Amino acid sequence: MAAVAAASFSLHAQGLPVTNDRLLHADKEPGNWLMYGSTYNNWRFSRLDQIDTQNVKNLHVKWLFQGRHNEKFETTPLVVDGIMYLTRPENDIYALDAETGRVLWVYSYRNPERTYNCCGKVNRGLALLGNTLYMNTLDMHLIAVDAKSGRELWKTGIYDYTANDGYAATGAPLVVKDKVIVGMAGGEHPVSGFLDAYDAKTGKLVWRFHTIPQPGEENFGTWAGDSWKTGGVTTWNTGAYDPESNTLYWGTSNPWPDYNRDDRGTGDNLYSCSVLALDPDTGKLKWFYQFTPNDTHDWDSTQIPVLLDAEFRGQQRKLLAWANRNGFFYLLDRINGQFQFAKPFVRQTWNKGFDDKGRPEIVPGNEPTPEGNDKIQPGIDGGANWMAHSYSPITRLMYVFARDERRMFTKNAIRHVTDDEIAADAAGGRGGGRGPAANNGIFGTGGNLPGVAGGGRGRGPRFAPEESWGKVIGIDPLTGTIKWEHRVLTPPWGGVTSTAGNLVFGGTLEGVIFALDARTGQRLWHFAGNDRVYASPISYLANGKQYMSLAVGDVIATFGLD
Amino acid sequence: MRNLIRAAGYSTIALAALAAAQSPKSIVAAGTTNPFNTPADVQQAAPLFSTNCAYCHGSRGEGGRGADLTAGIYTHGASDADLFNTIRNGIPGAMPAVAITDDQTWKLVAFVRKLGSAGMGEKATGNASGGKAIFEGKGKCKTCHSIGLEGGTVGPDLTDVGRRRNLGYLTESLVSPEADVPIRYRAVQVVLINGGTVTGVRLNEDDLSIQVRDTSDNLRSFNKEDIKEIKHDKPALMPAYGSILSNKELADVVAYLNSLRGEQ
Repeated sequence: MAAVAAASFSLHAQGLPVTNDRLLHADKEPGNWLMYGSTYNNWRFSRLDQIDTQNVKNLHVKWLFQGRHNEKFETTPLVVDGIMYLTRPENDIYALDAETGRVLWVYSYRNPERTYNCCGKVNRGLALLGNTLYMNTLDMHLIAVDAKSGRELWKTGIYDYTANDGYAATGAPLVVKDKVIVGMAGGEHPVSGFLDAYDAKTGKLVWRFHTIPQPGEENFGTWAGDSWKTGGVTTWNTGAYDPESNTLYWGTSNPWPDYNRDDRGTGDNLYSCSVLALDPDTGKLKWFYQFTPNDTHDWDSTQIPVLLDAEFRGQQRKLLAWANRNGFFYLLDRINGQFQFAKPFVRQTWNKGFDDKGRPEIVPGNEPTPEGNDKIQPGIDGGANWMAHSYSPITRLMYVFARDERRMFTKNAIRHVTDDEIAADAAGGRGGGRGPAANNGIFGTGGNLPGVAGGGRGRGPRFAPEESWGKVIGIDPLTGTIKWEHRVLTPPWGGVTSTAGNLVFGGTLEGVIFALDARTGQRLWHFAGNDRVYASPISYLANGKQYMSLAVGDVIATFGLD
Repeated sequence: MRNLIRAAGYSTIALAALAAAQSPKSIVAAGTTNPFNTPADVQQAAPLFSTNCAYCHGSRGEGGRGADLTAGIYTHGASDADLFNTIRNGIPGAMPAVAITDDQTWKLVAFVRKLGSAGMGEKATGNASGGKAIFEGKGKCKTCHSIGLEGGTVGPDLTDVGRRRNLGYLTESLVSPEADVPIRYRAVQVVLINGGTVTGVRLNEDDLSIQVRDTSDNLRSFNKEDIKEIKHDKPALMPAYGSILSNKELADVVAYLNSLRGEQ
């Protein structure tokens, strides 16, 4: 283990600056967590092994950070040599001593009272370059904050957050070279998607890639009529970067309206539900692959891309592994985007196979209907969603916290979302009659009772625990074979992290924080957090000791061995 | 529960006060101006502030659990009516309603405004540009203090100090800096069992550990089991400039500080 030596008694701000070189070799700093996905390939794999399968039974809480906020905590903290930086809803940044959880400084950003987030006033985390932290805000700003003092350095407007019933930015930015890559949200509204790159020093916009081709551009004709103007296709999560080929990989969301193609036509609605391979210097598209053409199920492809180099079919290959919201695990060639194979990792009803190019063959009868179609799987929130996956180079397995569930899909008339509906969403999470308590696990959903209001926007009733559950799976990414499965009660909203101690950490919607044996899926340790987990764990060193942190409820719970 | 909404003006203040005694809520309409705005009103509000506000906002409004009211920045609305409603009705989840009459609330509005503009009504006698040269040169003030994004963070940010502090306070801060040190900038010296010593300002502390920004602007944390002694307020991190600068130079620096009004 290449532990980062930390002098006893103190943490050291000489952890800053975090240079591009350090970001490129983030795997060489296992004591730190320098970006959202831990490394540019998004393995979310910690090379720390102090906590292992033998001693994990002794893991216990070392400190708690009390967030004191009712909103979901989706943040992935960053750690730099003993200092943890995390976002607290809505858009506050806290710097903590990573050994004790004591606050060093706070940066508070005040959004307007009303913002236009579909799914809670959430934020998933920060990016870091040099001495500067970067955060997206709900009112569509990119903020640069000095990591030493918490001072705001600059603030750049991304877009008018009130336009088209509302834009928002909730994902963690990604630093690539001298740029900050920023995605946007709003796919449940008639927005027009894009991905931006800003100069990391000045905050000036360097390029914008429109995720819906503009008139005259290639693939513009995949949208009927004027539907391209309001076709959604947002970029609300975080991407990956391959320095060797200088390629940025980023997933795109559903086309709008989510469950109704009447105005969009039967074209592919590019580049919705796709992965984009872009030149990070110019924003030019190198290639794309569309997982779900002409989607009517809100099956965003905004999952975290996972990059792998491996021998595949007799050759050393550069691959892209993707556990998609549509329920299939995909392997692509990441140099040219060519489809290799796809296999389901949850129950699915919509697909009877793929052609050579990876275009799905659709099973009839899997469309949302005005009266509601409850025979479609995976459910509205998908087999995977935004929650982070992990890959262990030791077990060579990819870990996915999957949602194996049945839900109601309802087609409604095309219309813009009304202000009242947005306000209701803001008050109670997503629409569909799910109140503030709705996300507290199987007993809090209420939506398990068939017939609960809300199907009109696709937020249909959930079904009984016998029909819907969550599972951590260990997938061989080169075959799509599921090697093991660890089932949990409720479809999850948290991600997973694996470690060199052969552990997989995560947490359930009921708050069970767990460590699984990365080789078998056997649960070796648990802690009753008793509140919803909407985040992915990290692991780091402070004062030479390994810790694991995960947000449960509004608390950042941090565990250690002694 | 809103049981009294006043459309405009101040004619029903007596009724409002009566209602306030019976009900925690009273809301004035946007555009209403403060009818209690004299120096005497401000003076009468001082004990109200001490009783109702200082616990969270600090005895001089410098902030603590609550916002720094000397900053003159009011995130829940800056108009007289906004301040009245914030004080009178509180902020859900953040600040309790202050249980006083409407007359008293208006006087507190005047007091809070005075806190946020202490230096605005005074004219400095020194030369501000000369003071700027001393601030950046001989005085080495930028080592610890920042204006905008320039300067250190061991001492308080001075970007808008001219608005929030009066001339007397600024002079005192230069000559006798220990007279009033904001709690977030108190000096601390950590003496470690292993013999090391670290000096800085205290950022945070509990029974187990202490967090410090050292004089080189590094963030540090120490477990108390590794600490031999913690010396508070020692050594004084800011020199007493009365023995370093002449009276003229002091006046120039005060004039420069008074000219710093922030972005507003």
